[in-house]
Amino acid sequence: MAKLRAERLYKVFGRRPDEAVARLESGADREELRASGTTAAVIDASFAVEAGQIFVVMGLSGSGKSTLLRMLNGLLEPTAGAVLFDDDDLTALTPKGLREVRSRKISMVFQHFALFPHRSVLENAAYGLEVQGVPREERVRRATEALELVGLAGWEKSWPDELSGGMQQRVGLARALATDADMLLMDESFSALDPLIRRDMQDQLLQLQKRLKKTIVFITHDLNEAMRLGDRIAVMRDGRIVQIGTAEDILVTPANDYVASFTQDVDRSRVLTAGAIMAEPSEVLGTTTDDGSTLRTEQDVLAAAPATVTESTPIIELFRPCSRSGVAVAVTGDDGALTGVVTRARLLAVLGEPDSPPDGAEPPAGDSPDAPGTAKKVITGA
Amino acid sequence: MPRLQLGDWINSGVNWLRDNLSWLFDFISSVVQGMYDGVNTVLSGPEPLLLAGILALLAWWLRGLLPAVLAFLGFALIDSIELWGEAMNTLALVLVAGVITIVFAVPLGIWASRNRAVSAVIRPVLDFMQTMPAFVYLIPGIFFFGLGVVPGVVATVIFSMPPGVRMTELGIRQVDAELVEAADAFGTHPRRTLLRVQLPLALPTIMAGVNQVIMLALSMVVIAGMVGAEGLGSTVFQAISSVDVAMGFEGGIAVVILAMYLDRMTSALNQRVSPLARRALAKEKAKALSGMKVLHWRPATSVAMVGVVVLALVAGGMSMFGGDDEGPKVSANVGKGQSVNIGYINWDEGVASTFLWKELLEQRGFKPKVQSYDVGALYTGMAAGNIDFETDSWLPTTHAAYWAKYKSKLENLGSWYGPTSLEVAVPSYVKGVKTLDDLEKKSSTFKKKIVGIEPGAGEMKLMQDKVMPGYGLNKNFSLVKGSTAAMLSQLDRSYAKKEPIAVTLWSPHWAYDKYKLTKLKDPKGAFGKGDRIDTLARKGFSKENPQVAKWLKNFKLDEKQLTSLESAIQDAGKGKEQQGVRAWLKQNPGIANKLAPVPGGADQKGKDAGAAPMIGYFPWDEDIATTYLWKNVLERRGYKPEIKQYDVGSMFTGMSTGQVDVEFDGWLPVAQKQYWDKYKKNLVDVGSWYDKTSLEIAVPSYVKGVKSLADLKGKASTFDGKIVGIEPGTGEMKLLKGKVLKEYGLDKEYKVSDGSSPAMLAQLERSYAKKEPVAVVLWTPHWAYSKYKLTKLADPKKAFGANNQLHTLANKSFPKKFPEFNGWLKKWHMTEKELASLEQAVQDAGKGNEEKGVQKWMDAHPGIVDKMAPVAP
Repeated sequence: MAKLRAERLYKVFGRRPDEAVARLESGADREELRASGTTAAVIDASFAVEAGQIFVVMGLSGSGKSTLLRMLNGLLEPTAGAVLFDDDDLTALTPKGLREVRSRKISMVFQHFALFPHRSVLENAAYGLEVQGVPREERVRRATEALELVGLAGWEKSWPDELSGGMQQRVGLARALATDADMLLMDESFSALDPLIRRDMQDQLLQLQKRLKKTIVFITHDLNEAMRLGDRIAVMRDGRIVQIGTAEDILVTPANDYVASFTQDVDRSRVLTAGAIMAEPSEVLGTTTDDGSTLRTEQDVLAAAPATVTESTPIIELFRPCSRSGVAVAVTGDDGALTGVVTRARLLAVLGEPDSPPDGAEPPAGDSPDAPGTAKKVITGA
Repeated sequence: MPRLQLGDWINSGVNWLRDNLSWLFDFISSVVQGMYDGVNTVLSGPEPLLLAGILALLAWWLRGLLPAVLAFLGFALIDSIELWGEAMNTLALVLVAGVITIVFAVPLGIWASRNRAVSAVIRPVLDFMQTMPAFVYLIPGIFFFGLGVVPGVVATVIFSMPPGVRMTELGIRQVDAELVEAADAFGTHPRRTLLRVQLPLALPTIMAGVNQVIMLALSMVVIAGMVGAEGLGSTVFQAISSVDVAMGFEGGIAVVILAMYLDRMTSALNQRVSPLARRALAKEKAKALSGMKVLHWRPATSVAMVGVVVLALVAGGMSMFGGDDEGPKVSANVGKGQSVNIGYINWDEGVASTFLWKELLEQRGFKPKVQSYDVGALYTGMAAGNIDFETDSWLPTTHAAYWAKYKSKLENLGSWYGPTSLEVAVPSYVKGVKTLDDLEKKSSTFKKKIVGIEPGAGEMKLMQDKVMPGYGLNKNFSLVKGSTAAMLSQLDRSYAKKEPIAVTLWSPHWAYDKYKLTKLKDPKGAFGKGDRIDTLARKGFSKENPQVAKWLKNFKLDEKQLTSLESAIQDAGKGKEQQGVRAWLKQNPGIANKLAPVPGGADQKGKDAGAAPMIGYFPWDEDIATTYLWKNVLERRGYKPEIKQYDVGSMFTGMSTGQVDVEFDGWLPVAQKQYWDKYKKNLVDVGSWYDKTSLEIAVPSYVKGVKSLADLKGKASTFDGKIVGIEPGTGEMKLLKGKVLKEYGLDKEYKVSDGSSPAMLAQLERSYAKKEPVAVVLWTPHWAYSKYKLTKLADPKKAFGANNQLHTLANKSFPKKFPEFNGWLKKWHMTEKELASLEQAVQDAGKGNEEKGVQKWMDAHPGIVDKMAPVAP
C-alpha cells in the first residue's frame, strides 16, 4: 500500500484558478494561461510513494517541483486534486489538523537549511518537539539523539552561524528526524553544498535510510543526485510530470527528447546495471567463442563467460571482463541461474545516446511510463 | 475654478468631533495626563544627581563605562544649568509619547506586514501624518484636549508614529521567508510563528524604529512647548519669544544631552533585547578578549538591576525624609489658610498681576490657587463661582461682550492699570520720529516695513483697516505678518545694531522696560481709545473676603512697575513666575506692604504716627544699618523719620541743642566717654541695645603665630612696621596711640597710619586677596568678621579698656516728645548674629541702596517689625 498518493494535483496562481484548471483539463497549455495572467505551477500530477522509498522529483527551476512538494504537506493548498497520506485526504483537513500532521507525521528539510539564527543547535533540533509540546527533558534527550544520529554529537551548544554548510544541513536533518515523522520532504536539501560535501551527505542519507526506513520525497535538479538517491524518479517539466520510473528507466528509455537531453551528462556506466542492459541468454547460444568452441547450453555460457555478475551490478564493472574476452558476461539471478548476458557490442551500444523515438510516439505523462520491460525492448531494438 | 471649501469642511468636522466625542477626548486626555503625571512624578522626585546616577548605571549596563561617565556628566550639566526639572518633564513627555506610539505602531506594523491590503491603506496615511507640518496637529489638538501636556503628547504621537509602523512592517517582512516556512512546515501556529520567530528576528529593525520614534518625539518637544507642555520645549520657546540667547542655548544643550542619551540607549537596548544582536555581541566579545577590558566590562543585567533598585530606594528614602523646599514666607497670617481661586488669561500682564497676588496672598497666609483659562472660560467660571477673582479684564472695549453677558454675576473691583494702548513703536535712537505722521515721511529709513505680529491679532486688523489708511502709510509701507516672537527677535536684532525699525506693539509690554522705545503718537486716534485693566470678582466675593477685596480695590500699578514686573517674570522663565515676582518684590522693597497692608498687624500705625524724629548717624557700618532699619520700621508705623549723617563731634553738639533727636551708636562707657561727659546734662541715655562690642587690632587668620597684641612685638618687618588705622580723632585711635602701643611696647616698632574706615577696609581687602600680612584697627561688631577670616588679637593687659556697649543716646526732651518710640528703643536689643547679617545685607546692597539691603534683611526676618515696634492691639 502506498504511503503517499498524489491524485491529479493542480496548482494555479493568479485569478480564477478553478476556471484555469478547467481550461487545462480541456487541453489548454501553460503558455495560453500565462497570457491571461495566471500561472499554472503544477498540472495534473499523480504518483504514489511506497513506504520506505526515496521518491525523487527532478526538474529544472520553474518546473513546479517545489510547488508540488509544498502541496504534499499542505503548505500550499492544491487548486484541484487530492493528497492522500496513509489514505487520509490532507486537502480536507482543517488548518489545525494540518498543523498536527505537519508537526507529527511529515517533516521537512530545506534548501538553505532554514535554521533559526536565534536558537542554538540543540534548540533548533528540538524545534519540532517544542511545537508538539513535548516536555523539555524529553525534548532535549530526543534532540540530542537526533544530533548524534547525523554525527553532530558535541555541537549542541553551538550556534548555527558557527557551523559549516554541511553541518548546518545536518542540523536541519536532525530537526526533521527528531520529530519521529514517518515522512521527510527534502527540498533541494543538498543543492547549496559543495560537491564533495554533497556526496558525503548523500551517503549519509542513504545510510540513515537503511536504518530508519523513512518515506522520503526528495526534490533535486541534479540528475546524478536523483539517480544516486532515488528508488523512483519523477521528471517534471513545465508543471507536468513527464516520466516516472527507476533511474535506469529514465536513462535507458527516456520518455521524450527533454528527458533524454537531461540524461546526457549522466555517467551511465555507474547508473546502468547489468540487469538493465542484458539480453536473453538465447542470443548467444550457438555462437562460437574465441577458442572455437560453440556455446550450446546455458551451462556453456556460464562456463565460458569472463565474469558472472548480478543484475544490480553497475555496468562499469563489466568493461574489464569484456575487454578480455569476446564471450558475453553472464548475468545470474539470486538462485545462480543464468538470467541474461551482456555482449561486448551491447555494452558499447548503451553508452551512446539513445535514439530519439519517432515523432508522435512520445508517451503521455500519465500513461504508465514505468511499465517494466519497455527499456529492454528499446535497447533490444537498437 | 470653483473654490472648494476644504478648510471649512475640516473645520466643521473638527467642531462636530469636539461637540459629539468630547467624552472620548476627555477620556484620552485623562489617561495621557495620568500617565504623564505618574512618570513625571517618578522622574522629578529623586535628587537630581541620584537619578543621574541611575541613568548612568543604565548607560553602563547598555553601553559600558565611558558612556556611563559621559551620561552622568551630561545630566550633571543639566542640573547645574538649573534645567533639571524641565529636562525631567521633557523626558517624561518623550517616554509617555514614545510608549503610546510604540503600543500603537508595533501592532499596526505587524498587521500591515501580514496583510497587503492593510499595508496599502496604511502607507498613504503614514505619509500624510509624516509630511503634514507638525504645527497643524496642534490646532485640533488644542481644540480637543485644551492647553498643556496632552495635546503635546498627542501631536508627538501622531508625528512619531510612522517610522514605528514602517520599521516594524519592514522588519517582519525582511525575516527570511524560508524561516517562516520552516516554522510553518513544523506545524507552528501563526501566532507562535510571529512571537517566536518573526518578532525576535525583526527586533533589530523594530528597535531601529523605536529609536526613530524616540528621536522624533524629542524633536517635537519644542513644538509641544508652544501649547503649554512644560519642559525644555517650553524653555526654548520662552527663549525664542523673549529673544534670550543664553536661555535658548542652555535649553538647547539640555535637549541635545537628552537626545544623545536616548539615542545611544535605545540603540544599545537592541543589543540587550534582540537575540540576534546579543549573539553578534557575544561573538565580538570573544574576538576582542584582549585590550581595554575594564572599559568594555558591563554589569550583567541582574547586577545593573540591583544597582538601579538600590539607588532608587535611596532616592525614595531621601525624598521621603528630606525636608521640603522653601515655601512662601508668611509674614502676616491674615488669611489663616483660607483658599482663594485666581483665574488668569495667559497674557503677560495677566500672568504678572496674578502671580504678584499669588505671592502677596501667600505672604499674608492665604492659600491661593491660580489657573489659566481662555477668556470665555474665565468669565464663565467666575460667573459660576468657581473662580474668585481675576485681574485681567480689558474694559470697556475688548471684553465688553463678556461683561455685558455676566455682569449680574460679577463684581468690578476697579481698575488697576490704564489706559492700555495699541501703537507703533520705534527705538528712541531713531530721531525725529514721534508720531505716525513722522513715520509716513520716513519710509525709506524703515525700508518701507512695519514689523507686525500674528496676522489674526486684532491690532493687525486695526493697522490694516484704519491706521495705515488713516496716515497714508499703506502707500509706502508694507505690514510684515509674522508672530509676536519673530517681531520681538527682529526688534532685538535691530536694537542691538542700532538700526531703525518700526514694530506694532502695545502697552503694557515688557519690551518698554527692556528697550528704550518711542510710542508713536496717534493724533488722529486711529487706534481708538485704550482699555483699562480691571479686576473682576465673582458676586459676593467682597463680602466673604473683605480684606482681599479691599486690597484689590486699592491695587494700582503704573507702567514702569508693571513692565518691570513683566520683565522680571520673563527673566525668571516659564514655570518660575513666582520667583520672578519675588525678585521684583525685592527690587521694590515695601511695595508688598503698600499693596497688601496688614490690618492690625505689622503695619499698624503707631500711637505717635506722623511724628518726625530726626535721627543722626555716623558713617559707621553698624550705625548706617541700624539707622536705616529704624527708618523702615518707623515708616511702617506711620512715622516720618528723617536721617542725617554727622561726625562724632557735631553729632553730640547737635543732639545737645535739640537739632538731632536721637542716635543709636553711642559707644559707652569708653569710646565716646569724653563727649558724653561734656554734653550729658542735655542728653539722655535711652538704653544699651548691644553689648558685645570691643576694640581691637585684627590680622588675617592666615598670618600664623600672631594671637595677641604681645605677639606683634618683633614682627614689625612682617607687617611693614604699619598698623592700618581709621579716622584720627576716633576714640579707638586715640586709645591705640596713647595707651595700647605703649602698654605692649610696640610704639617704637609700629606706626599707626591715619586714614578712614573705608580706606582701612580697602587695604584689608587687597592684602587679604593677595594673602599678605596686614594688621588693622578694627572693632566688634563689624561685618568684616563675617566676610573675612580674621584673628582678633587678644588684649591680656586690657589696654583697650573694658568693653563698650552700644547705647541709644537722645536729646533730653526725646522721651517726652516721642514716648512710643522711646519705649520701643528701651526694649530694643540685637544679637551679634542679627547685627552682622544686617550689616552684611546693607554692605551687599551697595552704597545708595541701603534701604533695599535693609528690606531684604527684614524679609528674611519676618515679624521683626512687631518685635522692634510692638503696637498694642
